[in-house]
Amino acid sequence: MAQHKVNYTQDGGLPVALTSIDKIVNWGRSNSLWALTYGLACCGIEMMASGASRFDFDRFGTIFRASPRQADVMIVAGTLTKKHAEFIKRLYDQMTEPRWVISMGSCANTGGMFNTYATVQGCDRIIPVDLYLPGCAPRPETLQYGVMLLQKKIRANHASKAQKAKRLM
Amino acid sequence: MAQIKNRLTPFFENITFDREDNELVLNFGPQHPSAHGQLRLMLHLQQEQIVKAHPDVGYLHRGMEKMAENMIYNEFMPTTDRMDYIASSSNNYGFALAVERLIGLEVPRRAKVIRMMLLEINRLMSHLFWLATTALDIGAMTVFLYAFREREYLMDIIEGYCGARLTHAAIRIGGVPLDIQDDFLHQLRSFLNKLPQNIKDYEDLLDSNRIWLMRMEEVGTVSTEMALSWGCTGPMLRASGVAWDLRKEEPYELYDEVEFNVPWSDKGDNFARYRIYMEEMRESAKILYQTIEMYERCVKDGQTDLMAHAPKYISAPKLDIMTQNYSLMQHFVLVTQGMRPPVGEVYVATESPKGELGFFINSQGGPYPYRLKLRAPSFWHTGILTDLLPGHYIPDVVSIIGTTNIVFGEVDR
Amino acid sequence: MRAYTPKDNVQAKAYYTDRFYVSPQVPRHDVSSDEVFAADLETISSKFTVNESYIEVGQMVVYINASDIYGVLELVRDELSYTQLTEMSAIDWLAKDNTFEIFYQMLSMTKRKRIRIKYSIQNGQAVDSVNKLFRSADWSEREMFDMFGIEANNHPFMKRILMPYDWQGHPLLKTYPLQGDEFAAWYEVDKIYGKEARDIIGPEIRDTANIDRYDSERFARLGFEQPKGTKITGDEEPTVQTYQEDGGVFLITKFDKDASKIVDDPQR
Ligand code: SF4
Repeated sequence: MAQHKVNYTQDGGLPVALTSIDKIVNWGRSNSLWALTYGLACCGIEMMASGASRFDFDRFGTIFRASPRQADVMIVAGTLTKKHAEFIKRLYDQMTEPRWVISMGSCANTGGMFNTYATVQGCDRIIPVDLYLPGCAPRPETLQYGVMLLQKKIRANHASKAQKAKRLM
Repeated sequence: MAQIKNRLTPFFENITFDREDNELVLNFGPQHPSAHGQLRLMLHLQQEQIVKAHPDVGYLHRGMEKMAENMIYNEFMPTTDRMDYIASSSNNYGFALAVERLIGLEVPRRAKVIRMMLLEINRLMSHLFWLATTALDIGAMTVFLYAFREREYLMDIIEGYCGARLTHAAIRIGGVPLDIQDDFLHQLRSFLNKLPQNIKDYEDLLDSNRIWLMRMEEVGTVSTEMALSWGCTGPMLRASGVAWDLRKEEPYELYDEVEFNVPWSDKGDNFARYRIYMEEMRESAKILYQTIEMYERCVKDGQTDLMAHAPKYISAPKLDIMTQNYSLMQHFVLVTQGMRPPVGEVYVATESPKGELGFFINSQGGPYPYRLKLRAPSFWHTGILTDLLPGHYIPDVVSIIGTTNIVFGEVDR
Repeated sequence: MRAYTPKDNVQAKAYYTDRFYVSPQVPRHDVSSDEVFAADLETISSKFTVNESYIEVGQMVVYINASDIYGVLELVRDELSYTQLTEMSAIDWLAKDNTFEIFYQMLSMTKRKRIRIKYSIQNGQAVDSVNKLFRSADWSEREMFDMFGIEANNHPFMKRILMPYDWQGHPLLKTYPLQGDEFAAWYEVDKIYGKEARDIIGPEIRDTANIDRYDSERFARLGFEQPKGTKITGDEEPTVQTYQEDGGVFLITKFDKDASKIVDDPQR
């Protein structure tokens, strides 16, 4: 009879890993950040490029979802105009907690080069923002680095405690 | 979960039932993955069929025309990038050409060749992007990934030239700022050598694909009258039976020296437009090969000028600025106060990848344009949806929006 | 004394103009110098009053009376084969003589010619819609109404197109400031959160050179960021930004630069 010996204590032998709930929840959350496709303007094209073949966003577990109900992170990619402002608020409210917002590009951060009557001077006037990416347009690498920083931020939180909803006011 | 309070009246998403005639009003957008930006469509439906369509634009209106009135001419150049952001250099070029015509400048030949290269690379980029997104909307994910791969090559080439991937600002009034980098021609050539095979790959995937054909053929037919009356240009017009390409009809730069065909079709449907985009990519490649030769000839002939010589309007080359007092003074005045073109009006149209991109400038002799009107092709290609969509079914909306190739930076400006 | 700024044109002005500077004029040619244009002008002027006409940068400009516009456009479309209305809009001359100038940019594909038809209207006067002749005018007239407040008679849907329906003011007027008026500044806040939220959210920061004094402490100390309110002594430890915690992350391999392969030929 063949002896099948498994050394359960050796590295890789044990099919069980011990960790805290906090860590496992945060691990899951941070590595499956589903992003809302919110391409508003030029930055949206770079967001698409980061999802496409060369930059391959899927390896971060980030998949673009078209519905805010399925999304964890809203990437505000582009110019937010006053006419559109109402909708960003609606979409943000439709996302489930916990939710994060990345403001991509100088238009979304501060209004950018469009210092005019029609643009909202920074989307943080409407919704709370976790991460600002500078650039016009930020490169796909910047977006991916930003997502990694967001993952780090998520891991630093306590998942077990009910997270306090972020508030603008 | 506690929500942040706001004043917005809740609406029960998207749907209104009209009790009398059972008509359904469906709201599509402004944030919809296949709306190519921020298009909002109010569709009145009878069952699945659209009886009335009402496109609502303006969600990306950033006030560019107003900005132009408050900026000196050179300052406005980067703003034009953000119009049709898929092919930024073609906007830069349209604006530069309009100002040059206003002043009456002639650009050196070498700059012209470089400009043509940039324009055609931008056309390829735009068409590849169009193919990628339209195919994605229709469900052909593979084509999306393939086309983006090719587009990234072109982006690398452009990035090597001007340092930006998307917003190039690669053209100046009076010429181009830089000569092309050393490996530009080599990279471009190796890209072009691969391109026919790539295009064939896409066609193999799409041309006889049953789903693609069903979503494309006989869908979204634009008649010639309708296209003319709505002011359609570019592939929209050429698919509807008018072989009108400004590069051929009103040649600018050196387009009268290169040889290329203008693909056109009289079908007017989505499939015809798709075919035209594919053929235009081939024609662009043809033009690019010829421009490479022209560039090499320029180098051989020792033409080194990249900017026109017009001390009243254009700064001298950097070397002169650094060494000659008068050039420095003139550069200082042009940068701080801006150039002052003559009093007059000009309307200049160029063939951008989407269609006729026009710039209307009314100058009153000041450093700021008195009025600048941007004529963007996509604006009317969105307008035509009002007349085009009724009679179609909901899934057709996506493929029709896809093939009109609208970009919202340009529609709303 | 504060410098006087005219209220009827609040757009950017050249801050210095030479006293003796005379701007040159784009050359204008007589219409008779081009036979196609001359024949076209002949046809137009035989039916309608032509106030002025010339050729500028290769295109003919024709000034007509405001009431004739529908007839003229019908004529040039049907008889002179100018089948496309490429563009139309207005120019604001309110500061000068209280008028708007409306232009229609036409294209003939058979003749390969472009003409521009223009007329002036008084402030407050409406134009005739040419939407029946050219469908493209449907949207351009709406845009013109949105941007200048010029209404078009007989237009099927005279509403704003680019700005929201409840917007106040017409942005492209010379009296409208680039950065918007009071209404524009608070538009999104008022709409979403209500007027009471103005104090909490605060005014827009329109100054491009704005630096928050308290922020700049950290902003200026890239790589040595300190929390707000920390007393800066000058011998802080550098704060290295990493995207992963030092100990690594559960189940995630850390990126190792030495082990990675860099592809330098993009065309491989
Ligand atoms: S930041 Fe630049 S690239 Fe991004 S949306 Fe704004 S203008 Fe476009």
